[in-house]
Amino acid sequence: MTSRDLSARGIGGADELAATEWGDEKGVRATLRAMRRSWQAYALLFPIFALLIVFVYYPPILGLVRAFYEWAPLRPARFVGFENFVNYFIYPESGREIANVLKLTYMGFVTGVIAPFVMAELIFSIRETVSKEIYRFAIVIPMLVPGVVYTLLWQHIFDPNLGPINSFLRGVGLNHFARNWLGDPATALYAIIAVGFPWVSGIGTLVFLGGLAQISESVFDACLIDGCTGLRRIWQVDIPLVLGQVRFLTILSVIGSLTTFERVMILTRGGPGYATSVPGLRMYERAFVTGEFGYASAIGLLLFAFALFLLFVINRLLRPHTEEISH
Amino acid sequence: MSALSNRRSDTGLIRSKRRASWRGPQIGPHLTIVLLLLLSMLPVYLMLVVSFKNPLQYQHERWFVSFPLRLGNYGAAWSIVSGYVWNTLWVAIVGFAGVLILSVIGGYVFARMRFPFREPLYFMILALLTVPWVISFIPSYMLYNSFGLLNTPWSLIIPNIANGPVMGIFMLRSFFAGIPEEIYDSARIDGASHWGLIWRITMPLSLPILATLGVLNFVSTWNSFLWPLVAISKEEYQQISVGLFLLSKEISISGDYSVWGPLFAGYTIASLPLVILFFMFGKLYVEGLIESGLKV
Repeated sequence: MTSRDLSARGIGGADELAATEWGDEKGVRATLRAMRRSWQAYALLFPIFALLIVFVYYPPILGLVRAFYEWAPLRPARFVGFENFVNYFIYPESGREIANVLKLTYMGFVTGVIAPFVMAELIFSIRETVSKEIYRFAIVIPMLVPGVVYTLLWQHIFDPNLGPINSFLRGVGLNHFARNWLGDPATALYAIIAVGFPWVSGIGTLVFLGGLAQISESVFDACLIDGCTGLRRIWQVDIPLVLGQVRFLTILSVIGSLTTFERVMILTRGGPGYATSVPGLRMYERAFVTGEFGYASAIGLLLFAFALFLLFVINRLLRPHTEEISH
Repeated sequence: MSALSNRRSDTGLIRSKRRASWRGPQIGPHLTIVLLLLLSMLPVYLMLVVSFKNPLQYQHERWFVSFPLRLGNYGAAWSIVSGYVWNTLWVAIVGFAGVLILSVIGGYVFARMRFPFREPLYFMILALLTVPWVISFIPSYMLYNSFGLLNTPWSLIIPNIANGPVMGIFMLRSFFAGIPEEIYDSARIDGASHWGLIWRITMPLSLPILATLGVLNFVSTWNSFLWPLVAISKEEYQQISVGLFLLSKEISISGDYSVWGPLFAGYTIASLPLVILFFMFGKLYVEGLIESGLKV
């Protein structure tokens, strides 16, 4: 994974680009000549950029603009300034939705980074190579179920009448603990977070295992001589050396739980009441239920801006000491 | 002499210490790992067990395998989900063909050709990896709507072909850059054009990474949910994830217990292509999964 790295960006090409001195007429002419000479490269890239411009670059720009419009299919868009944003914030449930998504986002760190790290350390500590391989294999198995099906299976697990959780509780005589996990406002959000428990079977564990395997044996030997073992080694050696992986997975899980509303949509659709509603789901409903596409674009823009902000903060906080080990 | 023996005893100490830490059966970690893995597999176990039950068996023995296995559930499920399976396979295959062609071309151009503005152009592609999808969701719908593409397979294939090369070029560029120049030189002497170099030299030399790209693409198409949910409302083009979601919703509303077996058989069928890919590609499959996380 490290070999395919951003560092490969700088291969060759520096020499003839160095000739491109801006502001120098000769340089401009030389550049134009070089461009004409390499027409084949541009011709080969043309279909890629044509598709990118229409279907990838244009939609976000359109969204950025239309967030300030009243917008629906088959009707001319009307400029409304900040009305869509104001409407979202004065809408009585927006505070709750924001609180919900923040809870999901920081729990995303626990389920997407901490739990996989613990699992990876456990497997890494196993000395026998055969069981190690078996465990690594077993981690992939739940990922062979499509995401939606996996969520639907969890819906069945939470089912108040048929699900195994309540059946188990009734079986051991804890009837009063049995409840409608997804239908009770007090537990619904936690049930959504609990999906995938114990959260060890995802790409996180595999990424950390890869990172730990890259730490050289001599580092561990040196560590042992200094009498640094067990939790102290994990804290002082392992974590600093897999910081690149931590950053990658933090971005993945935090941005993922901030923007995606797939699970909420499948499990509760924001209910009961607004107990599990999140801004992403509101965006969906505003667009596809009530037809307010401008309003929905505004929510999309807010989520986008917050996601970029978090991306920036995470990149600042978790900077690996060596870019080598980062992804 | 004393220094030497000192050192020897030092290393001896380390060795014995290490041996001490390398001994012992590690019962604790093994048990913890096995317990965590068993809990993780609970949903998969339920899916398989229930998929073989008839309604009576489901009512009496829900958590363990009951015999005789009802294989008929799979037939019943297949008659419902086979359409979704073919639709999704079609989108995944046509989409990947496009992604493959564009990614190989793009990767080659950025890795092996020299031209002005190469790095700025590459950066324009790379930067897309960090743009969260959420801002494009609503405007994309409106865009496909204005092109009249909604409710056609193209509304699923085009986003795949347009977006796929971003990841593809990122993955392939550094790989292609690592192919020795001598191979290209000898082909150029034989009069090969760029086109020939792309398809006759570069591509055959990169089959493993192309397989990784293929797995990544297939898994993301197979799992895609929110976009097909809004882009497709016609039953005849429905994708597997959305199809199963709507089916399960219908069933839980109707409260009909007798169809749990076939529904779970449908879930199992939906998992089969991923299982097959995993057993075919193994390590490449895992790499594909990890790479797929690179796009936020």
